[in-house]
Amino acid sequence: MRQRSIAGFTIAGVALAVVSLLAQAPAGDAAKAKGAKGGAPKGGVGLYQRQPPAPTGPAPKLSDGTPDLSGVWLGGGASDADISRALKPGDSVVMLPWAEALVKTRQSKDDPESNCLPAGIPRGSPYPWRIAQTPGIYFIVFEGNIHSWRQIFMDGRKHPEDPDPAWYGNSIGRWDGPAWVIDTVGFKDKFWFDYVGHPHTEKLHTIERYTRTDLGNMSIEVTIDDPGAYAKPFTTVGRARLMAGTELMEYICQEDNYDLQHISGPAQGPGGSTR
Amino acid sequence: MRVRFSVLAAAAGLLALGLPVLAHHSGAAVFDNTKKIDLTGVVTKVEWVNPHAHFYIDVKDSAGKVTNWNLELASPSILVRNGWTRHSVKEGDTVTVTGSRARDNSNFGIAQTIVFPDGHKLNFLSAYEDGK
Repeated sequence: MRQRSIAGFTIAGVALAVVSLLAQAPAGDAAKAKGAKGGAPKGGVGLYQRQPPAPTGPAPKLSDGTPDLSGVWLGGGASDADISRALKPGDSVVMLPWAEALVKTRQSKDDPESNCLPAGIPRGSPYPWRIAQTPGIYFIVFEGNIHSWRQIFMDGRKHPEDPDPAWYGNSIGRWDGPAWVIDTVGFKDKFWFDYVGHPHTEKLHTIERYTRTDLGNMSIEVTIDDPGAYAKPFTTVGRARLMAGTELMEYICQEDNYDLQHISGPAQGPGGSTR
Repeated sequence: MRVRFSVLAAAAGLLALGLPVLAHHSGAAVFDNTKKIDLTGVVTKVEWVNPHAHFYIDVKDSAGKVTNWNLELASPSILVRNGWTRHSVKEGDTVTVTGSRARDNSNFGIAQTIVFPDGHKLNFLSAYEDGK
């Protein structure tokens, strides 16, 4: 593991890492932690310091009994700083030698995320996203990198035999009790799992499980199975919180990606941490 | 939960310091936190754009030489959700900016805190940090 941390930014990195946790923390904790002064509402979450607290109550259902996941959510299924940070207990990320070597040479300026390209699965961002459930097909619409969307077919179809590789792959979904399960194959090998540059191949297969645990919260687990890059599958764990009272906003990353010309150094987390 | 609360409280404290939180790339890959900036000048332009809003200030040194600095903020969506508006910093405002300079030593930095002559403050992601 390289150690090229820049001292001050190590602290900043801790801040960002914990900010990510804040984004996934129950409203009560976030509200206490912020201690915001001035006018209500308190209960901010993540970077959004005065969003109303997440509403409380049971997880809602649609008229046909299907769990209702619709709404604007903040959070995600994995650490976007380093995918190995938030795993199911007992799991570990074991890269194949070529992948380990690649991570050690990756440069921050080459991160697709920094170049306003899609974040892929399960990489999150500090921007909210919306689930929209329509008959036979559900959508996830992202505010953040890069104002993109996913379509998840819910009509019982299978994956194509030989799908053309795509940034978000080919996704089919089903219900497993209260859990929305998304099975995705057919990925391009372009996106990075995180800032530190964990790679994947076109053999990547992801299984995501979204469970609305109550009105305001959702648990997310993502199993990463990529025998092309990892010695064994692993499962990330994360959470999202309903962003009550907000809507998605415009975020056209390509508009003025001025920073790219100033980025230098190895692929690194927000605090300068590397693999 | 007690441990988690402590961590969260620490995070809140760090945020209060205005440390860089950048969304789509590592802050450490762009800015060097060991290169502190402390600039007072007049705002010449505001760019309310993605992925980061920017504003520019003319800074005059003791010899009278004027240098224009480009100062970075979070994205407009984060700023708006945290109390900023696109008018929070305006052309002609006099501001004092502290933050960190770009690693490449260009006249580019991250605006960690922005202080106005009347004492009110903003930071790179929020209008709420000063509690006013």
